[in-house]
Amino acid sequence: MPSKKRAGNKKKGSGQSNFAKLSIFQPNKYKFKKSCPLSVKGAPEVDYKNIRLLKKYMSENGKILPSRITNVSQKKQRELSLSIKRARNLALI
Amino acid sequence: MNLYEHTIVARQDTSPAQVKQLTEKYSKIVEKNDGEIVQSEDWGLLHLAYAIKKNKKGIYMHFKIKGSGKIIEELEKNEIIDKNLLRYMTVRVKKFDLEAKYFSKKDEYEKKEYKRDYNRD
Repeated sequence: MPSKKRAGNKKKGSGQSNFAKLSIFQPNKYKFKKSCPLSVKGAPEVDYKNIRLLKKYMSENGKILPSRITNVSQKKQRELSLSIKRARNLALI
Repeated sequence: MNLYEHTIVARQDTSPAQVKQLTEKYSKIVEKNDGEIVQSEDWGLLHLAYAIKKNKKGIYMHFKIKGSGKIIEELEKNEIIDKNLLRYMTVRVKKFDLEAKYFSKKDEYEKKEYKRDYNRD
């Protein structure tokens, strides 16, 4: 019995996905890729002493977040992971 | 001549007098080997992120040293035996950042960051 109900409640596909609305001809403001937050002018320097900065790029369990989530550039991600490991060694994080 | 940042962590139950002795002992080693301490910072008693040898807190000392690699060799040789120390770390840097103080005055540092954010907007 319940299985039939479930089948009835199933919604039809809600049209196309959002990506279809983005065409090539639209202006640049619909860009959905963010730039690296650490490469911007005036960005803080990555350092093993700057715990407050490093904690932003770590999960709650103390793991390093991947750059595809945080949008950090390759170069900065390398710096980040090195300084996080240094801070770990000193038991700062 | 190289530039080094050197950090040592002492046990939580070392008395302030002993901490002074430690800093003097290691700064003497630096001076003996023709080095120079550009800046020494005292970060004070901080919580360790994880227990090291059953210690939950540690006294952090930070030195910025200018000199050859022999100093570091000598320093680490002595620190490995030292029972008052929990950890030590040396990092070679290209340039000293003498302004940023991440530990000594927390409030000022926070203010600085807020200003930065404000300027960005």
